[in-house]
Amino acid sequence: MPLHDVGYRPWQGRRSGSLAAILVIASTGIKLAWTSRWLRRAVFFAWSPALVFAGSFFVFEQAIDEGRLGSIQDRALVGRNVDGVGILGRVIAESLGQSDAPPPGQHETPEEETYRTRRAVWSRLMLAFMRSPQAILLAIVVGLVAPALVSRDLRAKAWLIYFTRPVGKFEYVTGKLLILGLLVASITMLPALALWLAGVAVSPSIWVAVTTWDLPVRIIVASLALAIPTVFMALAYSSLTAESRIASFAWFATWAACWIAHASLTTADVMQREHEEILMSENAQSADPSNAADGGFSGEDAPGRPSRSNVRPMGPGGDIGEKLSDLLEGRRPRNGPPFNVRQFRWISRATGIDDTIDRWAWISPYHSLGVIQAWVFGIERRWQAIFPPLLSLGLVSIVSALVLWWRVDAPARV
Amino acid sequence: MSRLSPVEEPVQATGIVKRYGQRTVLDRVSLTVHPGITGLVGPNGAGKSTLVKAILGLVRLAEGDVRVFGLDPRREPHAVRRNVGVVPEDECSVPGLSGVEMVRYAAQLSGIPGIESLRRAHEVLDWCDAGQERYRPVETLSVGMKQKISFAAAIVHDPRMVILDEPTNGLDPIERRAMLGRLTTLARDHGKTILVSTHVLPDVQSICERVIVLADGRVRLTGSIRELTQPTIPEERLEVIGPVDELVRRLIARGIPARRARPLELFPSAAGADGRSSATVETVTPGDGAHEGVVLLQLTAPDALATMWSEVHQLGIRVRSLKASSRPFEEVFLEALQAAQASPTESLHAAP
Repeated sequence: MPLHDVGYRPWQGRRSGSLAAILVIASTGIKLAWTSRWLRRAVFFAWSPALVFAGSFFVFEQAIDEGRLGSIQDRALVGRNVDGVGILGRVIAESLGQSDAPPPGQHETPEEETYRTRRAVWSRLMLAFMRSPQAILLAIVVGLVAPALVSRDLRAKAWLIYFTRPVGKFEYVTGKLLILGLLVASITMLPALALWLAGVAVSPSIWVAVTTWDLPVRIIVASLALAIPTVFMALAYSSLTAESRIASFAWFATWAACWIAHASLTTADVMQREHEEILMSENAQSADPSNAADGGFSGEDAPGRPSRSNVRPMGPGGDIGEKLSDLLEGRRPRNGPPFNVRQFRWISRATGIDDTIDRWAWISPYHSLGVIQAWVFGIERRWQAIFPPLLSLGLVSIVSALVLWWRVDAPARV
Repeated sequence: MSRLSPVEEPVQATGIVKRYGQRTVLDRVSLTVHPGITGLVGPNGAGKSTLVKAILGLVRLAEGDVRVFGLDPRREPHAVRRNVGVVPEDECSVPGLSGVEMVRYAAQLSGIPGIESLRRAHEVLDWCDAGQERYRPVETLSVGMKQKISFAAAIVHDPRMVILDEPTNGLDPIERRAMLGRLTTLARDHGKTILVSTHVLPDVQSICERVIVLADGRVRLTGSIRELTQPTIPEERLEVIGPVDELVRRLIARGIPARRARPLELFPSAAGADGRSSATVETVTPGDGAHEGVVLLQLTAPDALATMWSEVHQLGIRVRSLKASSRPFEEVFLEALQAAQASPTESLHAAP
């Protein structure tokens, strides 16, 4: 008998309620998940892209501070890299190139121009940050943690521990959602908010925080938009099997298969479009043989205005001609992304630079989430682009939630 | 403020029916679990686990009503479960937690806050004699240790009722005795209601005050152990060392109905499924030539006791004990099952 054995004693203290049970489930789940070395590495790694993006904020704010915004914009208009930090320079350049300029004839003060370009650049940088590294890391981190959350409880019959105590399905599911929600927040929302703070810190004035006050709100909403469907889907997979390996496989297979399906369908679209452009080019050449010699620069975008949007030159010479023309006129083809973006289709889609409507986005969770996040950041405003992914993610969330609700206490009912 | 009624019986079930598809698992079950220790026994598939789930509000009943401390478990499951602790038969754990973390987790889930839950977990584990094993991950513990952890987790929040499914599974004889002692302490000293579902009938007879026998989803027998094991004709059980057969012969000659106990009556656990002894029991103790044995006798006549003492004295018999005889519960249980097979729709006996 232990020396301090005081025997059985009644306990008359005040009991906490359901909220405490939810927090206990969440904190214990995080503690157990955190024992995984891979998870710790993934979360640590998830913060590293923020350093690169912070550099971009610094370069941009430095340019504003030194009055070089005009030169940046000039360079952006011809699609050149502006800061030497790689692809993020293109994000800044394209943001400046695409930022909503005032209507012709309307005067814009330097302060207004700075305000407009800052919002455009910051929004795109944030979107790029949340889309490119963070969304992918999110899939990995959720894939490391979520499959075991319910399936391991089913395997170890831990449901007997929960449902024989004052813990209902609501507390159990909410606790599990909170585990993933906090992890997702730690790799998406918190680094993004830290990035915004870093941007404010490197800007010339603290008033930048006021002019970009909505960005933290958008970051939180975008993080929620990212977290809700992914977390529900991951937990639904976990609840369908007592083998966490199967749930893990299903999770990663879903992301990969949907990505491949999206890529295949999008590529098919691009090929079809290029085929149509070639046909149109051939038709144009046959209709006006005098234009054939100059690479086919004869398409009319609007009356009196030359365009290369629908007419793609044949061969390398023609492509260079198109690029030069784009550079000189600072315009993009009407029905497609700018030429430099074609080389970086993935990042351009991620940052909303490529403004063609991704009609297959609803097939892939990653691409659907991208569209919704672009909407949250005010970059995508077209309902025909937003609605299908919104519907797709909404359905995934609802079905996953129903499956989860039905499955978590299934063993207790039989 | 607790809305639990202090005057209500811990469990009151009225005509409950539970079906899984076409199969009726509980068929118009009505029973009452009184304060104290109640045994819930029955063959596999009798409906014991489903009854426990009904008490916890985990299953939806087709018909009938269950009240736990006056509350409906389907409507107020949290209030019911706050006052009930469960030791399931199956091993269950949260993988990765140590024994003490597991008990603390159970305490926190039951509403014991913060550091108090850790203090309480250690206190209960000390009482359960869990030792230093409590710091090892639960999945690496022995079956007996897991059983202790599970028991500690069930009582850590000081419930008014504890439901145990095979609580002595995997325990060695010493631990088994200790576990039964803890249950008795909880019931006797702390006023807990204990419902023990088990196949170990000697355990039922040794600690339970009442018993409920379930078979094929129906209550076949219910009542106090004392009443159920009372022989049809009241007998005394005299354990002696000496010439037993001669004593029996003399008592009969003096008009006192007496007989030597059959082995089954001495060692109920040696009985086979047919109720007959499956073991050879010899009651002879060589050495001084004296026999050791048990005599069952009816001391109904006014002077029967004096007559018995007189004969014992004359024969030089040493008396080890004299107590009221009772039927082994196993015999009662088997009779109940046989009656259930013979008449599937009728209850054999329903003592108060």
